[in-house]
Amino acid sequence: MGRPDFRGGSRGGFRGGRGGGGDRGGFRGGRGGGGGDRGGFNRTRGGGVGGRGAPRGGARGGRGGARGGMGAAKKVVVEPHRHAGVFVARSKNDDLLLTRNLVPGDTVYNEKKIQVDGENGEKIEYRVWNPFRSKLGAAILGGVDQIHIKPGAKVLYLGAASGTTVSHVSDIVGPEGLVYAVEFSHRSGRDLINVAKKRTNIIPIIEDARHPHKYRMLVGMVDVVFADVAQPDQARIVALNSHNFLKNGGHFVISIKASCIDSTATPEAVFASEVKKLQSEKLKPKEQLTLEPYERDHAVVVGVYRPIKQAA
Amino acid sequence: MSHLYVLYEHASGYALFRVKEFEEIGAFLTQVEQSVLDLSKFNSVVKLIAFSPFVSGLNALDNLNSISEGVLHEDLKLFLDSNLPKPSGKKDSKLQLGVADSKISAAINETTGVSCTHVGAVPEVLRGIRLHFPNLVKGLTDKSQAKAQLGLGHAYSRSKVKFNVNRVDNMIIQAINLIDQLDKDVNTFSMRIREWYSYHFPELVKIVPDNNMFAKVVKIVKNRKELSDDALEHLEEVVMDSAKAQAIIDASKSSMGMDISPIDLINIQLFSSRVIDMFDYRKNLHEYLHSKINQVAPNLSSLIGDQVAARLISHAGSLTNLAKCPASTIQILGAEKALFRALKTKSNTPKYGLIFHSSFIGRAGTTNKGRVSRYLANKCAIASRIDCFAEIPTNVFGDCLQKQVEDRLKFYESGTLPPKNAEVMQEAVLKAEETKNEIIKKDKKKKKKEKKNKKKEEKNDEEEMAVEENGVTNGNGVEEHMEDMKLDEDQVDGEDEPQPKKKKKKNKKSE
Repeated sequence: MGRPDFRGGSRGGFRGGRGGGGDRGGFRGGRGGGGGDRGGFNRTRGGGVGGRGAPRGGARGGRGGARGGMGAAKKVVVEPHRHAGVFVARSKNDDLLLTRNLVPGDTVYNEKKIQVDGENGEKIEYRVWNPFRSKLGAAILGGVDQIHIKPGAKVLYLGAASGTTVSHVSDIVGPEGLVYAVEFSHRSGRDLINVAKKRTNIIPIIEDARHPHKYRMLVGMVDVVFADVAQPDQARIVALNSHNFLKNGGHFVISIKASCIDSTATPEAVFASEVKKLQSEKLKPKEQLTLEPYERDHAVVVGVYRPIKQAA
Repeated sequence: MSHLYVLYEHASGYALFRVKEFEEIGAFLTQVEQSVLDLSKFNSVVKLIAFSPFVSGLNALDNLNSISEGVLHEDLKLFLDSNLPKPSGKKDSKLQLGVADSKISAAINETTGVSCTHVGAVPEVLRGIRLHFPNLVKGLTDKSQAKAQLGLGHAYSRSKVKFNVNRVDNMIIQAINLIDQLDKDVNTFSMRIREWYSYHFPELVKIVPDNNMFAKVVKIVKNRKELSDDALEHLEEVVMDSAKAQAIIDASKSSMGMDISPIDLINIQLFSSRVIDMFDYRKNLHEYLHSKINQVAPNLSSLIGDQVAARLISHAGSLTNLAKCPASTIQILGAEKALFRALKTKSNTPKYGLIFHSSFIGRAGTTNKGRVSRYLANKCAIASRIDCFAEIPTNVFGDCLQKQVEDRLKFYESGTLPPKNAEVMQEAVLKAEETKNEIIKKDKKKKKKEKKNKKKEEKNDEEEMAVEENGVTNGNGVEEHMEDMKLDEDQVDGEDEPQPKKKKKKNKKSE
């Protein structure tokens, strides 16, 4: 199973989505009236997606129902992605990133759902993961080698915001895993708590990620630290949290927004300096990747914390 | 040789571990680091001494709040008292308690006298405990630990969201945003009325250029063909100019506008009354904002005006955030785009952002605009800090600061030297104290009055009660006494208060 080539194919399909949640600034608008542009997205994709909970979803449930006369029911094939817990829906026009819905029937941010028959005849529901609204999603589509977030993993998620990406992470780790979602803003925290109410593997923590000792009682040892905090002292924040909660040989995944750290330097220089800072804190970067078609001047850095020596 | 104990706070309760005695910290650290990976090895390093679970969810939340603030909770104190070995008389048994953060370590040290540490091997040991905790404590599984964390996490986050420090600021932020939105909407709606009604009576726009007035006149004139001289009085009331009112009536008779059908007219009338309502609503909202901002930021608002003050707060996110901003940031608040563009292209940075809307900058000469802006931003920073941290807000400083800006403007215009900053501030401090004392006095009087009223009511009640039951009066007497005591305390607080304020002032001067 090769990497899905999303860069070319999916562009057209997602164009509708970009208005709603393309950049962070437009995010608010996207949440409220997101239905409109997703409708457009539906059209380009053709049938296949039964938009159940979505505002525009006229065709309830039935696969291929929206297409009407064209009729071929097997339009979408869901395949497991290279990363465990992530799936891809392949259809004629483009491919979509999916996660298996932990709470079937429920959507978090009015994203599309896809239902597929499982092996035993039961229905399996997937949620579409929009890479324009999620840096982790963008990184996966960009072909990142490892995300380390896998079923059963415990994840410390810094900068959880309203819980859109967090919900997908919670899908991936599944009922056996845990997501500690840290968010400072009370406004987004409200939405995050609502997401966490339905997904019991998310532990919401409304607190400043700069002070891990304030929430030390709530967090256990984790396998992965994911950070999307967009702060100038991001590396320090990640290091602090890793020292407290990341187990030896655990991994970190950080998205870096260059303009948040230094708006005058070139993005490449900013990324390099951030990687340097990480290295000095026992965080060993392994991989770096830009999120180019989805976000401008962003990079994702993946690495390992206090690697365990093979000899031991 | 020392005995190291480690306190571990978990969502389900407090745990105390005893760490194996060790000689040298450097060697020990590496040992811990290696053993952390293996449970059996780690077991030889630490030993669980005590674990006390929280009684209830509420109790856990209470403890968590204390822990996160670095305060020693009663339960924790009890736990430590009962489980830490009493320091025996021997000299060599030095007891040390390892904790996770410096604040709680200071708090524990202060109240219990146990020497605490949060450095050295402690973080490493805590990492190990965190990793193996479910295996170290009997009856605790990975699942149940997650459950405790989940419950407590929800409770903690909910309480955080519920108790928002910036409550009042948020109201101001919403109000100013709504005002801005209303301004825009009212303007577009007024343009719509003008367009719409001008088919019928095109001359009116020229005579009544004001939007609000126009909408009101439209309501009075209705069909211009049926406008009689009786309406003159009404028109005069609205336009407040008899010549204009007459001009409207004259124009209505010789207008080149087309006829209008009654149903169209009704719709125009409906819309114009909506717009008039909106104007009124905007006015009310403005008063609301005025009263709110005078409560929250009296100094800042009297320095640069309600709207600009509210915009500054809204842009910074809250008054506390604004108070944390340096003056240079306040100066260009709202001009971020221009600033970052300038930084990128290495050209000149903007001179002003939101504070441009204050009247001061418009009044300054072209060459002095930047200087006045800088000066004003400095004063705004001072005013916002006073507003944020003063306990009894007065607008004395705001007025003084405003006067200073005025003097500075005058200096740039005519060269008259403004009074020295130190002198002005000295005066302001004195005056502020006076007003503060007055306010305190007033408050006291109010309280007394309220109490008297209460007493009266109570007495009335008592009398009524006394008919039914005897012996209530005695209890009330004690309560009254208590209330008196409380009042005295208030008084003491009030008198104490000005002193720290003075210090703050001095700091500012030295800036």
